[in-house]
Amino acid sequence: MEGCPRSRETCPKLLDLIPQERKWYHNEEKNNSDQEKKLELRLAPPGGDEEDLSAMKKTNLDTRNNIKKEAEDKPIFNLSGNHFSPSNKTTYAPPHISHKRTAPGPVVGWPPVRSFRKNLASSSSSKLGNDQINKSGEGEKQVEPKRDGMFVKINMDSVPIGRKVDLNAYSTYEQLSFAVDKLFRGLLAAQRDASGGEGEEKPIIGLLNGKGEFTLTYEDNEGDKMLVGDVPWQMFVSSVKRLRVIKSSEISSALKFGCSKQEKMRN
Amino acid sequence: MNYFPDEVIEHVFDFVTSHKDRNSISLVCKSWFKIERYSRQNVFIGNCYSISPERLLRRFPCFKSLTLKGKPHFADFNLVPHGWGGFVQPWIEALARSRVGLEELRLKRMVVTDEGLELLSRSFVNFKSLVLVSCEGFSTDGLASIASNCRHLRDLDLQENEIDDHRGQWLSCFPETYTSLVTLNFACLEGETNLVALERLVARSPNLRSLKLNRAVPLDALARLMACAPQIVDLGVGSYEDEQDSESCLKLQAAIRKCTSLRSLSGFLEAAPHCLSAFHPVCHNLTSLNLSYAAEIHGSHLIKLIEHCKKLQRLWILDSIGDKGLEVVASTCKELQELRVFPTDLHGGGNTAVTEDGLVAISAGCPKLHSILYFCQQMTNAALITVARNCPNFIRFRLCILEPHKPDHVTSQPLDEGFGAIVQACKNLKRLSVSGLLTDQVFLYIGMFATQLEMLSIAFAGDTDKGMLYVLNGCKKMRKLEIRDSPFGDAALLADVNKYETMRSLWMSSCEVTLGGCKRLARKAPWLNVEIINENDNNRMEENGYEGRQKVDNKLYLYRTVVGTRVDAPPFVWIL
Repeated sequence: MEGCPRSRETCPKLLDLIPQERKWYHNEEKNNSDQEKKLELRLAPPGGDEEDLSAMKKTNLDTRNNIKKEAEDKPIFNLSGNHFSPSNKTTYAPPHISHKRTAPGPVVGWPPVRSFRKNLASSSSSKLGNDQINKSGEGEKQVEPKRDGMFVKINMDSVPIGRKVDLNAYSTYEQLSFAVDKLFRGLLAAQRDASGGEGEEKPIIGLLNGKGEFTLTYEDNEGDKMLVGDVPWQMFVSSVKRLRVIKSSEISSALKFGCSKQEKMRN
Repeated sequence: MNYFPDEVIEHVFDFVTSHKDRNSISLVCKSWFKIERYSRQNVFIGNCYSISPERLLRRFPCFKSLTLKGKPHFADFNLVPHGWGGFVQPWIEALARSRVGLEELRLKRMVVTDEGLELLSRSFVNFKSLVLVSCEGFSTDGLASIASNCRHLRDLDLQENEIDDHRGQWLSCFPETYTSLVTLNFACLEGETNLVALERLVARSPNLRSLKLNRAVPLDALARLMACAPQIVDLGVGSYEDEQDSESCLKLQAAIRKCTSLRSLSGFLEAAPHCLSAFHPVCHNLTSLNLSYAAEIHGSHLIKLIEHCKKLQRLWILDSIGDKGLEVVASTCKELQELRVFPTDLHGGGNTAVTEDGLVAISAGCPKLHSILYFCQQMTNAALITVARNCPNFIRFRLCILEPHKPDHVTSQPLDEGFGAIVQACKNLKRLSVSGLLTDQVFLYIGMFATQLEMLSIAFAGDTDKGMLYVLNGCKKMRKLEIRDSPFGDAALLADVNKYETMRSLWMSSCEVTLGGCKRLARKAPWLNVEIINENDNNRMEENGYEGRQKVDNKLYLYRTVVGTRVDAPPFVWIL
């Protein structure tokens, strides 16, 4: 009984770590599991009606039967170097097409990663992704259309609490500028109110042209601080790491520590 | 042995610490059972519903440390709805009423409340150690009770819990006279921290060995903390966001150089790209490194750090390190025992950060490797076969290919052979997670070869009931089996009902099991709790059967128990 489950079949010869000229024999019953009564409540994956699922199941079985027929005629697992020569494919048709359940969107609980890991992944994936692509030596930057939001942090001078903004929700700098105003107008007013200044809400404008009280800057994937607005929008989105709204009067000091590409170019 | 007085036998038993061994000892004879009972110090209960607090106290009246686990593992991935269970309150209440001198409580995936923590803090004079892992239901008010009332507290270790942060003053609740802190981990707290209270606490804790900060502790505070705790062994950096040459950074570097006992580094919950270089001076002593939360650190910086970590035994990292980075790990970290590579891009969006090559490199370079958790987007049978040949010592092998049903990307074959090689070579394998395109064949291999396997996680795999049957029949030491989205049905579930008495639990969700099948199982096995977690409108499901368009996503969770049906189940859980 040891090592051989349900010994009604011959124990198959098992694979060897060193490939040899061995064929794999696989005695399988053609019969598949009995059809369960569909009247019973079924614990089944999401998506589709009962009719769809039973139809899917029927095609699954049909396809599986066909595959199994083929499989019995020929040895399936030919260990003579099959795995090591990619060009040599066997006739085994992967069954995954037959029973792949089409989930209506992202699958719950997959991949099996804790929720707080998911959160940190979504905000950094695009920047890290670009690094990887650069390393692999490809000339072009693939701008990956993210299905989820691309949330980056945004802080504003004199406001202690930061926010996060979804860059995928916008397609132009104007839209982003408008969003920044919406995010911080109230907070800025509250901050000024708290520190004894006037508390009325003033719109935050002129972020992109240097003419407003504040200017929008960002830190890119190489750690450099940049003015927002120089490059095409998509290029900006693919390299931005975080945003910062700084007082226009402090531009020169804020850019001192970073490698300011604009300054270098001007000089 | 029986001619010795009880005290001598008890003294011998003191050297036997593992739970399994002590359980075996207690089965030898009545007198050993009795001696062992009264001398057991540490009790481990893997499923809080398998037994009741009263029975625990009757069997072990003198224990000092209790470990309890609540929700099933898949709760970590949001598959168990809120309110399912795992409440620790009845346990704390029962222990408080008894005369047990509880000193340590370790909880995993349980629901804890502030009232419970308050009761705990007041009921046990010698309480020393509280370790909460993946728990929820409490706030910083509960922590304040612990801080205020537990005079002899040594460890407060909060790992990945969901804590309602009231931004209160829990840190300042530790009395000024309190100086016995050894472990403090509050990395999972989201809110602001009272830095002054924290610094004063650390300054008066000469025995502090492990300090893990949350993201609200900035760089300058970290520098001050490390300056007054140079004896630290285990550090979790909170936030490290500052310019490279700032004053705080320099102070931190000076403080770090004095931390000659530092062996374990983690955290970096918010991190500037250049932050790791400050830690290069201590790398040569590090045995444990967890950078898996540091999504903002680039692969190149990770590699620069790891090049210095020749003594590393445990590494948790993000896949941004890349295959090249893993090659550096393989050539540098010859003492490596455990590796976890977590994904940064969860949707397989084209970035092949780590591939089968990285895994093969690690297996070739690290002879002591025995535990691995590896997230990747592609794998091949050839690679797995090579890994198996290089590393026959795996105890834990968890491979997660992000895309369900994905075959060998070179040959388009299922990955049966690759995993088969792993189970055949690794004779001590205790935990296995499989993924990718898999047929019943892989389960045949698992059933035949994985004789020591205790925990198996299956997702999107298999073709027929045979797959599950191979595992149930073959793996004699199976304790926890969790399956999702795989075509196993009633035939497999009901084939050997007695098998479940030898296991802790079985989870099956989105499989082919029917309600009728589960009911039959429950009838045949009254010593099992068979629970159906039904997330839809309960009544309608019962009456109308399978509603056409309605999403059906019921889950089966069964476990052995000696105390029958639990009484705290919410309405959406049917206990059959």
